[in-house]
Amino acid sequence: MNNLWILNMGFVALLIGIGIYCLLTMKNTVKLLIGIEIIAKGVTLALISSGYARNSLMLAQALTITVIVVDVAVIATALAIIISINRHTKSLDVRKLTRLKG
Amino acid sequence: MHLFLMIGLVAFSILAVLSRDLLKSAISLAVASVFLALVFFRMNAVYAGVFEVSVVAGLITVLFITAIALTRSDGDVTESKRHLLVFPLFFAALAVIDILVMRKLLGRIPAMVGSESGSFGQVLWNQRTFDLVGQIGVIFAGVLAVLALFRQGESKGEHHE
Repeated sequence: MNNLWILNMGFVALLIGIGIYCLLTMKNTVKLLIGIEIIAKGVTLALISSGYARNSLMLAQALTITVIVVDVAVIATALAIIISINRHTKSLDVRKLTRLKG
Repeated sequence: MHLFLMIGLVAFSILAVLSRDLLKSAISLAVASVFLALVFFRMNAVYAGVFEVSVVAGLITVLFITAIALTRSDGDVTESKRHLLVFPLFFAALAVIDILVMRKLLGRIPAMVGSESGSFGQVLWNQRTFDLVGQIGVIFAGVLAVLALFRQGESKGEHHE
């Protein structure tokens, strides 16, 4: 059971690493959201595998559902912001969002 | 089987990050969600698996595809071409560090004990009531934020006309 937990945690670290790489290097705003989504996948996997290892799967699932709901709200709001920015700049590039730059 | 599902999950996540076409990225993300849901089903987490398939693989993919269809870009965003070189190096370094750390931890983690009683519904309603209230608040906040953003865009559009 514990070895499965360690294996899962290894993959959680990989997923979070891929997401952080995406957030740090990509220039497309939609790609940045995809990075956030990949990190959220890692977090839900960590929650469920820990709940499985501790034999408290119901609590882990309740927390996972909370994470998923918050994630959906974040993604919907961020996509609405991206669409309204796109109406002004006609682009999806984060490098063009420099209006507030001092 | 478990390892195969995990490798599929990581592979489709990488494809979602590296793919140049946004639509392909969104669909790869959905496939990765399906792999994650299968992992959940294998670990007996049925409710989380159902949520993962229906909400993350379904709803979020629809949101992404709608947003990609609604946005128009005057030319694709030019991502630097170094990703094809940098990402494999980054991923290899991450994987090596990961394997080394996990090997050190192997057999050193004490057995985690815990037990719970009751069904999923009882745990959700009795223990995590505050979470449910928070979830409802978050959903309302998200809906209001989206409405506010779109209304602002419309009124500005009318003003320009």
